[in-house]
Amino acid sequence: MKRRHFLKFSAAMGLSPKKRLLPLTSDLYAFSNTSNLSQVEAKYYQKLADREIECRLCPRFCKLGDKERGYCGVRENRGGTYYTLVYGKACAVHVDPIEKKPLFHFLPQTGALSIASAGCNVNCKFCQNWEISQVRPEQITHIDLPPESVVRSAQKNNCPSIAYTYSEPVVFYEYMYDTCVKARNKGIKNVMVTGAHINPEPFEDLLKVLDGVKIDLKAFDQDFYTKYVRGELQPVLDAIVTASQSQAWLEIVYLVIPTLNDKVSEIRRMCQWIQKEIGPDIPLHFSRFYPSYLMKNLPPTPISTMEKLKHTAQQQGLHYVYIGNIPGHEGENTICPQCKNTIVKRLGYLIENIHITDGRCDFCGLQIPGLWS
Amino acid sequence: MSSQVIIIRAKDLFDSNRDINSVQLTRLFQKGFELLTGAQTITDSIKTLFDTRTKIGIKINTIGGRQISTRPEVSLCLARHLTKGGIREKNIIIWDRTNRELRSAGYSLKINQSGINIFGTDSNAVGYDKNLTAHRSIGSRFSVIQSRLISQSISMAILKDHGLAGITAGMKNYFGSIHNPNKYHDFNCDPFVADLFDTPVIKTKHRLTVIDALTVQFHKGPAFHSQWAEDYGALIMSTDPVAADYSSWMLIEKLRKQHGLPTLSEEQREPVYINTAARLGLGFAESLNIRIIKKEI
Repeated sequence: MKRRHFLKFSAAMGLSPKKRLLPLTSDLYAFSNTSNLSQVEAKYYQKLADREIECRLCPRFCKLGDKERGYCGVRENRGGTYYTLVYGKACAVHVDPIEKKPLFHFLPQTGALSIASAGCNVNCKFCQNWEISQVRPEQITHIDLPPESVVRSAQKNNCPSIAYTYSEPVVFYEYMYDTCVKARNKGIKNVMVTGAHINPEPFEDLLKVLDGVKIDLKAFDQDFYTKYVRGELQPVLDAIVTASQSQAWLEIVYLVIPTLNDKVSEIRRMCQWIQKEIGPDIPLHFSRFYPSYLMKNLPPTPISTMEKLKHTAQQQGLHYVYIGNIPGHEGENTICPQCKNTIVKRLGYLIENIHITDGRCDFCGLQIPGLWS
Repeated sequence: MSSQVIIIRAKDLFDSNRDINSVQLTRLFQKGFELLTGAQTITDSIKTLFDTRTKIGIKINTIGGRQISTRPEVSLCLARHLTKGGIREKNIIIWDRTNRELRSAGYSLKINQSGINIFGTDSNAVGYDKNLTAHRSIGSRFSVIQSRLISQSISMAILKDHGLAGITAGMKNYFGSIHNPNKYHDFNCDPFVADLFDTPVIKTKHRLTVIDALTVQFHKGPAFHSQWAEDYGALIMSTDPVAADYSSWMLIEKLRKQHGLPTLSEEQREPVYINTAARLGLGFAESLNIRIIKKEI
């Protein structure tokens, strides 16, 4: 491979342009000092009798006695007051192409300062970031990065947006929310990459300070959510509808896992639901599965399956259907639904050509939904 | 086939300050081991239960702070009995998840070459295994103490009611040996407690359950609430981890009944994981197969 091609391919795979400020994974033998965890009172909980509390952030409604933590592992009841332990505690900080989130209709070709704290409120058996999402904050290295420092870091790295991502930002809600407010004051946009296992009230409040949301819809089937996600489907569907009605830009990702959530009939039902509840213009990304975490017994998704599901979604009338995790596949490109020209040609996270001006197709003038500049 | 469970109870174990009478505590262990093994001396009892040449972990439960944790004097008393049986002090590790919790329960940390060791998984150069152990419903990293530092294990849990699991006793105590116990509290912790115990790193090393029922939190646990805690003054000992937990459950139900509280079943939090463990062949969970020997000293 020639050097030029190598660099181009590496960039497409997100290997070289990404600026890594803190390693995504860390040595678990190096514990953080537990006294270094935050003690900031959490939002969205109810105090109960006998020093118990009920968390109302997500649909789990964890009911916790004194000294207990929720399912997420990062929120703790201390004497009847509920605290977040990860406020300002970043375990991963990177500058990523926004296409990596993936958000394809949102400030293309820009970098997003991407941060995460430890923890998650579900336990997907196929999680690709389980080393930070399925651990307690004291089990990994983190740095003190308060909201104002996140914003400064975004400015310093010329990032027009901050992404709350990698693990599950729902569980570091307070940290994310305060950062969003400070970022917005500085003209920086906020995007959340989430499984959307969150209750309506906190999500509606959060959407007021978000500019973009990418939601992972992991299946269109409660049994799948029960067995492989340990969560509920309906709250996620509700959150998708809520996000679509907000001012924030929304894209959906569906990780296609061979034999488990790849039935054409299920995808058809999902697309019909999207059409009915949201409309045809929401980008839908089918992402290719690779063996990971507790699901190493399945092969990567066949490319033919990915193409079949994309075709199914298009048949249901969705305009912007993408194939992801297969760099160089033509399913990464944006096709104008009116004139059928390729208006954004992508190679992984790189954009080779873009034919959108002022939000309109250069060839036919059709308005292309999204935030393009 | 049946299992044996010893419930050994001492009168006047606590003084007016709730300090433990050390003479009575020692007698509790002596008599408990004698009844459990049938051996006449503590040395013979220990040799019956353990390989005295290898390292033994005593997994305690200190999440409840000083008020409702395995007390230092109790686990150290057990450790001293092990040494009387020929196990060298340096081969004994009293441990839990974190040094912070151990300290808060009154333990002085000790990591040394000669004496009994007391430390948490979060000590320097300890931590959790890098690799995941995947077994049935479990996908976790084990504490290096459980997976590598010891070859025999004692679960020494304090007996508590548990808002989600029903009760927390000997098997659930091993939740403290993995990095992600918060992921296993759905469905009354079933089948997770049983599945975790069934992992080779626990099942093949576990030798003895000692339930600390000196003070029992019989309602609103696992946090401490004095109005629902009773100084019961007993140890529950068995080599059958399921029978030990079953008997502990029955004790919780008895105390709840005495205080006019509904059964755990009526509160929809029966510890169903105990039956699941029995179905996995880890022990017995019905009275017919459990021979309970009660003794008061």
